[in-house]
Amino acid sequence: MDEWQFFQSQVFPSLMKGFKVSISLILPSAFLGVCIGIWAGSMRVYGSTWLRKLVDAYVAIFRGTPLVVQLFFWYFGLPHVGIYLSPFAASVVGFSLCSGAYQSEYVRGALLSIKKGQMLAAQALGFSKWQMLRSVILPQALRRALPGCGNEIIYLIKYSSLAYMVTCIEMTGEAKILASHYFKYTEVFLAVGAFYLVLVSLAGWFLHHLEGRLSIPGFEHHGK
Amino acid sequence: MMPEGLIAVFQALPYILQGSFVTIGIVLGAMGFGLAMGIPLALGQVYGSPPVRVAVRIYVWFFRGVPLLVLLFLFYFGFCSLLDINLSAFTVSVAVLGLISAAYQSQIFRGAIASLPAGQLKAARALGMSDAKAVWFIILPQALRLSIPAWSNEYSIVLKDSAVAYALGVAEIMARTHFVATRTYQHLPLYLAAGTIYLILTYAGTRGLRLLENKVRIRGYSR
Amino acid sequence: MENDPILRIEDIKKAYRAREILKGISLSISKGELKVLIGPSGGGKSTLLQCINFLVMPDGGDVWLEGRKVNPHRKRELYGYRQQVGMIFQDFNLFDHLSALQNVQIALLRVKGMDKKSARERAVAELERVGLGKHIDHYPAQLSGGQKQRVSIARALAMDPKVMLLDEPTSALDPELIGEVLAVIKNLVANGMTMIMATHQISFSSAFATEIIFMEDGLIVEQGPPSKILSSAECARTKEFCSKIYDLHGEGN
Ligand SMILES: Nc1ncnc2c1ncn2[C@@H]1O[C@H](COP(=O)(O)OP(=O)(O)OP(=O)(O)O)[C@@H](O)[C@H]1O
Ligand SMILES: [Mg+2]
Repeated sequence: MDEWQFFQSQVFPSLMKGFKVSISLILPSAFLGVCIGIWAGSMRVYGSTWLRKLVDAYVAIFRGTPLVVQLFFWYFGLPHVGIYLSPFAASVVGFSLCSGAYQSEYVRGALLSIKKGQMLAAQALGFSKWQMLRSVILPQALRRALPGCGNEIIYLIKYSSLAYMVTCIEMTGEAKILASHYFKYTEVFLAVGAFYLVLVSLAGWFLHHLEGRLSIPGFEHHGK
Repeated sequence: MMPEGLIAVFQALPYILQGSFVTIGIVLGAMGFGLAMGIPLALGQVYGSPPVRVAVRIYVWFFRGVPLLVLLFLFYFGFCSLLDINLSAFTVSVAVLGLISAAYQSQIFRGAIASLPAGQLKAARALGMSDAKAVWFIILPQALRLSIPAWSNEYSIVLKDSAVAYALGVAEIMARTHFVATRTYQHLPLYLAAGTIYLILTYAGTRGLRLLENKVRIRGYSR
Repeated sequence: MENDPILRIEDIKKAYRAREILKGISLSISKGELKVLIGPSGGGKSTLLQCINFLVMPDGGDVWLEGRKVNPHRKRELYGYRQQVGMIFQDFNLFDHLSALQNVQIALLRVKGMDKKSARERAVAELERVGLGKHIDHYPAQLSGGQKQRVSIARALAMDPKVMLLDEPTSALDPELIGEVLAVIKNLVANGMTMIMATHQISFSSAFATEIIFMEDGLIVEQGPPSKILSSAECARTKEFCSKIYDLHGEGN
């Protein structure tokens, strides 16, 4: 009974407060990450040699270093050159750039998987380059990239907890404060874990349905 | 980059590099733990009875769904004091990263096992092998070979995740870098240096696994 | 009585969901006989062969090996039984991570518990017997279809089986490779091996089979010596099928 009251009066309100911050971190980061990913992925396939190398380097660096290091760089490092980001802004910048690098992998893979014949057929019909991209290539490629990109967003949901480490108090941060205050770590962290599980499962379920909605016969993607 | 930044990096480098041994320790421990647990989990999910399969799915769902940081706090501050066991932050980090990696590795192995043709198991049984022998001598040697590329990917994920152990105060690369940075106020160059160390470790590890893959490659074998 | 069957199956039944694949099959085979299963695709030949050594668990029916009923639910008994029944698959099913030699050795070492030296000697001897003495260190991916099938025959022979079950051993092979595998099987017949084989190789069967069994829709429609089945089948379906096969596979070897 006691536990339940503690949960109702303390845990749930703080977690809800943190939850809102988490969501306001995740949504813009996911959106920006996808945009960056589509742009970077396209550049890595269709860009000029120099641009391609540059974007490849961006992806290698952001996929090869821990997100924590990147967050610290944005939050603690940038003031060194006179740029001050709030914890929230540093987190969104960090998440978007990191997520974009991963997203670009899926977009690139999907673009590369499109057969030459598709482009030849479009050109033969007199499509301009942009028309071809818009109505032939992207509709196919984005379908192929969807499972990977969706998975990346699920990762982002989980990794948004790292914002706590640059003092952006979202769900995990609220939980930490609450737990240390009442010294009830197990209960509080189980509760916050459950919140994330629900969030991740909902996102997974939504993604699954989206894939089903968008699926075209004979266009199934097999695994990763 | 400014000279005092470079000086700070060079002065701190030995100290930070010592942390890379801690990082490598965490990664090796977690990967090994994850391997030892991931194989039985995968076998349970492929060949197990329905309750076993459900149990594995729940395990995987849980450890893939809850963020690492939350699990670290839950195990270190929660379970350890609840059960009154005294584990070091290092041990808890290895255990938690290992439990998570086991969930991911089990799915790697499951996929590899599923990609083997059913005839392999049938032929083994037709020779009178028990299921255990068939799995040990026929299925696993093939599945593990097929898993190396995905395993190499998993290595780079665990390596990067190990930086989160900083939150428990484990003196790995990240923690040491931050410690030096707050004293010298040279955050930017120091984090760049830390990032470079991680890049090198990622590269070295995936390179090593590529060598392993070539070493155990079977002529003409691919699936 | 004078010629007791080595293997006898009685009333084997198998259904997947509501679909009956085998509707009660009985047959027996004595030492040195070659019984050939023919019949249209989907008639249940593969399922029957796999039911005989319980790779597919039949829903009903019994199997006797040398007069002893096999209880497939007793693991040890099942493994022991399978060691005495060799199986050849249509798509070879060589272990892809093992060389030809290791493919033949592995069951000798791990199932029969032979020591390394005698297992190797035995494996080499079997590979030589099927004409692959020069290829013992090749991996499956480096062998042609015909060579793979011969390795799989060597693998089965190394276990000293009392009966062999062959499921269309040549139908995954290019026409020019069929002969080399049939030659090995011919050799087995000559050496008195007991075999049940599903095949479409009609001319081979008519020359070497003791009996041809025509199966369709999970039932044995007709069985008898090749001369009878192939030239004067009683059942119209058998006749029709045989003539079709003749057109298709004409001179198989
Ligand atoms: N695991 C299974 N689940 C469901 N149906 C199956 C399964 N295995 C076989 N069948 C069905 O059983 C029927 C008989 O198959 P079987 O392979 O025994 O025929 P077959 O006579 O060997 O044909 P073929 O000449 O093509 O090899 C087929 O219709 C097949 O679809
Ligand atoms: Mg068949």
